[in-house]
Amino acid sequence: MSTFVVNGQTVTAEKNKKLLRFLRDDLGLTSVKDGCSEGACGACTVIIDGVTCKACVPDTDRLEGRNIVTVEGLSDWEKEMYTFAYGEAGAVQCGFCIPGMVMCTKALLDKNPDPTEAEMRHAIRNNYCRCTGYVKIIAAIRLAAQIKRTGVIPEPSNDDWKIGSCVHRVDVEEKVLGTGKYPDDYYMEGMLYGSALRSKYPRARVLSIDTSAARALPGVAAVLTAEDIPGENKIGHLKHDQYTLIPVGGLVHYLGDAIALVAAEDRETLEKAKKLIKVEYEVLPAIHNIQEAGAAGAPKVFDEEKDNICAYKHISRGDAEGEISRAKHVISRHFETPWTEHAFLEPECAVSYIDQDGDVFIYSTDQSAHQTLHECCMVLGTDKVKVQNALVGGGFGGKEDMTVQHHAALLTYVTRRPVKVKLTRAESLLVHPKRHHFEMDFTMGCDENGIIKGVKAKVYTDTGAFASLGGPVLERACTHAAGPYNYQNFEIEGTAYYTNNPPAGAFRGFGVTQTCFATESLLNMMADEIGITPWEIRYRNAIRPGQVLPNGQIVDESTGLVETLEAIKPYYDEAIAAGKPVGLGCAMKNAGVGVGIPDTGRVKLIVGDDGKVHIFSGASCIGQGLGTVLVQMMVSNTDLTRDDIVYERSNTWISPDSGTTSGSRQTLITGEACRRACEKLMEDRRAGLSLQQMKGRVYYGEYLAKTDPLGADVPNPVSHVAYGYATQLCILDKKTGRVEHMIAAHDVGKAVNPLSCEGQIEGGVVMSMGYALREKYPIDDNCKPIEKYGSLGLFRAHELPEITALVIDKPGLKVACGAIGIGEITSIPTAPAIADAYYRLDGERRYSLPLCNTPYERRG
Amino acid sequence: MAIKKKFPYKAAFVACNGGCRAKDCRYGCIGCGTCVSACRFGAITLNEYGAAEVDEEKCIGCGMCARACPQGIISVHQSACNIAVKCSNGDKGPEARKQCEVSCIGCGICERTCTAGAIKVKDNCAVIDEEYCLSCGMCAVKCPRGVIRDLRGILTPKN
Repeated sequence: MSTFVVNGQTVTAEKNKKLLRFLRDDLGLTSVKDGCSEGACGACTVIIDGVTCKACVPDTDRLEGRNIVTVEGLSDWEKEMYTFAYGEAGAVQCGFCIPGMVMCTKALLDKNPDPTEAEMRHAIRNNYCRCTGYVKIIAAIRLAAQIKRTGVIPEPSNDDWKIGSCVHRVDVEEKVLGTGKYPDDYYMEGMLYGSALRSKYPRARVLSIDTSAARALPGVAAVLTAEDIPGENKIGHLKHDQYTLIPVGGLVHYLGDAIALVAAEDRETLEKAKKLIKVEYEVLPAIHNIQEAGAAGAPKVFDEEKDNICAYKHISRGDAEGEISRAKHVISRHFETPWTEHAFLEPECAVSYIDQDGDVFIYSTDQSAHQTLHECCMVLGTDKVKVQNALVGGGFGGKEDMTVQHHAALLTYVTRRPVKVKLTRAESLLVHPKRHHFEMDFTMGCDENGIIKGVKAKVYTDTGAFASLGGPVLERACTHAAGPYNYQNFEIEGTAYYTNNPPAGAFRGFGVTQTCFATESLLNMMADEIGITPWEIRYRNAIRPGQVLPNGQIVDESTGLVETLEAIKPYYDEAIAAGKPVGLGCAMKNAGVGVGIPDTGRVKLIVGDDGKVHIFSGASCIGQGLGTVLVQMMVSNTDLTRDDIVYERSNTWISPDSGTTSGSRQTLITGEACRRACEKLMEDRRAGLSLQQMKGRVYYGEYLAKTDPLGADVPNPVSHVAYGYATQLCILDKKTGRVEHMIAAHDVGKAVNPLSCEGQIEGGVVMSMGYALREKYPIDDNCKPIEKYGSLGLFRAHELPEITALVIDKPGLKVACGAIGIGEITSIPTAPAIADAYYRLDGERRYSLPLCNTPYERRG
Repeated sequence: MAIKKKFPYKAAFVACNGGCRAKDCRYGCIGCGTCVSACRFGAITLNEYGAAEVDEEKCIGCGMCARACPQGIISVHQSACNIAVKCSNGDKGPEARKQCEVSCIGCGICERTCTAGAIKVKDNCAVIDEEYCLSCGMCAVKCPRGVIRDLRGILTPKN
């Protein structure tokens, strides 16, 4: 027992526990986020006696007499100041790290009112942010320092909410002050804690499951096995091959496969009960990699499949082989890229309960509430399910699959009680699908002027233990492997293999991050062979409006690759003149799912009893700022002001399905649906109706982004409605061998909120600096991921170079007021740019990631 | 003496916390005071246990004490890394345990606990790589021997 002060109140912790648990569970201070409970992430940072401390570390018994401050304990002025500073700087994206960052800011400024840049970076060096790349958080600290010194909170620099204005995001206050709720922040009367018992082996047959001892343990409310599933056991996006629970007699596919589910009154009983479940296995040899999966006579990962091939794609246009054989310059190389973990700050969590309609109601952190609904309905065998998006603490593709939602729903369905299922960080690292490991063989042929004549490639991917989006990722990797260039002869063959590794699926870039590394690296080598600069070879080949992409699509007027190259040119020339090693990379990325798959945006504008227009769309904001985009879209397309509009988080019973937050699609697709709904609303406004008179009316907007399927029998298929283009430049410091400056020029169409757009770019660049230089996700012989959150190699604030985001605002597209998605492309050209810069530094070509022999390589 | 320190701040660190708590450890601080005399800033004193201790506010990280220490247990570290292993005992666990009340016995709990892979037992004694350390202090609160300390005195006593 110990007594200490929390936010000015004296409190007593009767039972010894971690401070984090005491603050959240006993005091309800949910600004203190639980991101890992292992000291890594920093989301639970609080101030103890004036210094920052991660609340998951100390035991309450050690805190006698201490004075603890959380965000809830800030003065009203401080709350206002930090909300303004973080909003004005554009520092808030998913928001999960932000209360911890605010605590670091306060601890710094309380001691040092005028910190230097280095001191600001150091103040947050032990806290991770995966969204922002820290740039705008540091800007927020700088601004907060200035406000604190002057004592005056200024007016926002932008208060016109029209498109193109850098307004503060709609969710700044709730994320800065920690009042916004992620699923883990819901606590309910009588709530049970649920968790899955996972397999002991990556490949084994379950012979028996004995749950009797676990059921007999007092405090255990339910122990479920596959037999208890009322609906379908197998779920998934396209291919239903993800088991909710492995049945007796069934094959285990990886260490994350769940065998039994337990719900108990408290976390301790839950863990005890899981240990009491006895599972008998027949251990079988596991498939560890692509080679083992593809070997003749290899054991099968799935009983149901004829081999270990999850997906196969072959794309061919023109005569790549013939053109390459006739080309003057030909280069062939083998490339490899690693597994990558999303490392979003908020681990997967779902809270479910039976609502007043008798439905299973799920608070979910996901990339599509409707996808969650669909899959949970399948498992429960009923459509009496509702899903509400809580705040989503980052996704990056890693929250597209079911991880906890269906488990929580099933436990609630059986127990009829509220249940919280939350993954530990170690479980999260194991369970959700990762970025695919790729092995690639590429050949490029060019003429004497460096004009690409043809590209031929074979790629192999490890899609792990279930399909997830392995097929579409492979397809996108293949369609975009050609790069944003004007040539007509391209052939690629891709195969995705099942293995007993953790599953791989969607990850920012969706396969293009991998193939772009190969194509762009070849182009850099080709420039050297021909004797022109990497910039020049790109400028000569760059796709321009009206030209035809290697996939056959004629690109429209919005195409801005050349503009991004031109924007980079002054930086490129200056660095070269200064003798600095530089590297370039270009990329294109679709906005919208494309290739003939129905891709629909839907928005309902409902005028509520409060006389405000509520935006309902079944589209998840996973931190990118969709709510702000839609509000700005509305202000631009109606006569309403910001104060007339309320953004509602996605749900499944009012918000119409607007597709998954994937493929950089929401700004464009849901944005256009919103614009169309605005047109309808304006008919009433033009007829002279006031909002009071419009109460109860619903204005519905829908936009189907129509595209042609792959291999469509038309001369110039429209594969995607829009593409974003980018050029990134890496400049190295010759002395230290470290990255000195990253410059990223992105053609985004019309930037809805340029500040948010910059934030996306900075975050994407830093994420891919990790991919290029340091991040690994090694898997051991037991198919188990080795690293913990803190050793993944994520970049920290004090290690970053200068990052310059150039937003190229090129109009042209006729939908969504000209806006094109930015989410993924920010991460795509970074790795090849960095790789080429290192070649210019030391003459060593590197064909695999993360790059070896750099100062960023981990020792020991 | 007012010397303007250069950021990021560095300071000397004495990898021993034993003093009178040590019986016959040949690795740790012997309380000889060489470092105290070597320091031009009055930043080192012998603490209540008789072991050398650095006042990081006064220390500028010049390294004079480190060069002077006959035991070779003083190094210059990043002040921002406030979690530190205060032991240099290289003997195997059972001997190390006998030699001092606050000795590292190389049990490896810290290594298994560390999320960042920043602490490793090398030659029977835990060592933190400050480049990777996230200063969370999980190793310090888990250390059964009280060897790993929070130099700010929050998660553990300073010495």
